[in-house]
Amino acid sequence: MANLYIDNVHKSFGETHILKGIDMDIADGEFIILVGPSGCGKSTLMNCIAGLEQVTTGRVIIDDEDVTQSMPKDRDIAMVFQSYALYPNMNVWKNIAFGLEIRKLPKEEIEETVGRVADLLQIRDLLKRKPSQLSGGQRQRVAMGRALARDPKIFLFDEPLSNLDAKLRVEMRTEIKKLHQRLGTTIVYVTHDQIEAMTLANRIAVMKEGHIQQFGTPQEVYDNPANQFVAGFMGSPSMNFIRCQVVDHQGDATIAMSVDGKDFHLPIPQQEKGVRERVGQEVVLGIRPEQITDVVPQQEQASTLANVDAEIIVTEPTGADTLTLIRMNDQEVNCRVHPARAGAPGDTMTFMINMDKAVFFDLASGDRI
Amino acid sequence: MTQSPPLSEPTRAVRKVHKPSLGDRLAEQIPRLVVSPTMLIAVVFIYGFMIWTVVLSFSTSRILPRYEFIGWQNYQRLFGNERWMVALTNLGIYGVLFVVICLAIGLLLAILLDQKIRAEGFLRTVYLYPMALSFIVTGTVWKWLLNPSVGIQRFGRELGFENFRFDWLVSSDMSIYTVVIAAVWQSSGFVMALFLAGLRGVDDSIIKAAQIDGASRITVYTRIIIPSLRPVFFSAIIMLAHIAIKSFDLALALTGGGPGYSSDLPAIFMYQFSFTRGQMGVGAASAVIMLMGVMAILIPYLYSELRVKKDDR
Repeated sequence: MANLYIDNVHKSFGETHILKGIDMDIADGEFIILVGPSGCGKSTLMNCIAGLEQVTTGRVIIDDEDVTQSMPKDRDIAMVFQSYALYPNMNVWKNIAFGLEIRKLPKEEIEETVGRVADLLQIRDLLKRKPSQLSGGQRQRVAMGRALARDPKIFLFDEPLSNLDAKLRVEMRTEIKKLHQRLGTTIVYVTHDQIEAMTLANRIAVMKEGHIQQFGTPQEVYDNPANQFVAGFMGSPSMNFIRCQVVDHQGDATIAMSVDGKDFHLPIPQQEKGVRERVGQEVVLGIRPEQITDVVPQQEQASTLANVDAEIIVTEPTGADTLTLIRMNDQEVNCRVHPARAGAPGDTMTFMINMDKAVFFDLASGDRI
Repeated sequence: MTQSPPLSEPTRAVRKVHKPSLGDRLAEQIPRLVVSPTMLIAVVFIYGFMIWTVVLSFSTSRILPRYEFIGWQNYQRLFGNERWMVALTNLGIYGVLFVVICLAIGLLLAILLDQKIRAEGFLRTVYLYPMALSFIVTGTVWKWLLNPSVGIQRFGRELGFENFRFDWLVSSDMSIYTVVIAAVWQSSGFVMALFLAGLRGVDDSIIKAAQIDGASRITVYTRIIIPSLRPVFFSAIIMLAHIAIKSFDLALALTGGGPGYSSDLPAIFMYQFSFTRGQMGVGAASAVIMLMGVMAILIPYLYSELRVKKDDR
């Protein structure tokens, strides 16, 4: 149980700069997710928190103590690895007890702790088995058990679910969330899976090329992305980016759009003030697939709506929705349509564009306007 | 689905039935044709001669083979021969020391090389290089090094240590240990390579996990890494043990079995009785004993290897 403060951390391997000034202030009991594409430095940041890598400059502060120079064992953290990293020559009981034995805890206390953790994770039947005799999901549980047994100040999870199959991953995701709710320990969790990030986190840190692009709650990151990278990374299917021009239409700044040869104007939502000042310039409109749907009559009065007829290029039924590809300003755009109302490829159907949550990015820098 | 139609009545008419041509059938047989000469040679010259040796060991053969059978007499003479018992004792000393020291040095070198050091590739080659020499060369080089009048002893005395003695090569009590030294020098690099491969196979995150659990570097090795190298130990021991039993050229080049027959090994004994002393029957008997020694080591190994394959792990 502790807070974690990362103060301007840099990490370089020779001339390669992996982390370029990371600042994070994490409160006690928060569930933080570091997410980003491979090579963005998220695992390196994790290793720096754990003490497995020394930071080049900056400070790591756990529970108000500066542990920048401390060894991993003195930081009172526990880590769960992607490969589980179970000790192959020890059975499950010994795997869980190892850290406690090293810390020279009394035998009865070790017995009791291992038993308690085994019950919590429902692995009591497995205690006598070797890791090679366990399935992926069971190994995952044992790896978590080993971390739990230590009762550390902070849990670190390094892509713990990546090696599991899809169904098990969803189950374990829920279990990790339950575990966090029960224990309330601070967790830092690395993943490249943005769905894991959305479902688990109290706050998400989206990383790219050694910088934190945005650090906020899942809903903030989803609705209010700081730049085009974050917008494209979070959400599946990802946000549509459409190059378009801001024009003055009847005294109001609007977005000029052309679909299948017909020109029309899209309203700019009230909160997007910056883009109104860019009349005559090209910008990138970011709009999520669920904001372009089939026509829903009861919403039709809202001022941020526009209806457009477009030819369907491809449809991808997902069961709950049908993803429909159309062209806007000669760029491909994904729309999310009710399956019963989706047309066939080649058909023309009417789409309703909801600009309420549309966002705009600078064409050159990709920054939010 | 459960009831299939009778085979005599095709349920569906087809335009044409394709049959393999003669050429296709021949092509299928080519792998067998290519392998068969090798197979034949192996059967005759390895297994055939093995059986022949066993037959000779029960015969009165002396300089040339004779097929007059005398039962176990050759084996009785063999085990009544003091020189054979010396060779067996030497094999015991040499085999155990060779295997244990090679394992210890090989493991130590591998662990040291695995510390992410600079020029690792170069050092690895240096340690592996003795493997590239034949045992005859190794034996000859060490004969010069260990020779009191030209080698290490003389070097020590020329440095000023007048009473320095290192004359194991010419001492009948110690000469077998010189064979151990040369053999360890030759083979420990190979054992190092085996262990290094094993160490590289250890998942990095296991070491990280142990560090976070609070284990010191030494504890990580003694409690986790070395125990998990058990299969490597097993393979290394098997390989070293059968090298030890078959050792011939190294001892012959280094000590020639001497002084006297104090550093004789079974293989030297076998060679001399069979081919220089005209006692082929006894020589064959000693060869059979060595074969049984090698099989006693290899059969459990092959058995475990093949069984592991079947378990698909």
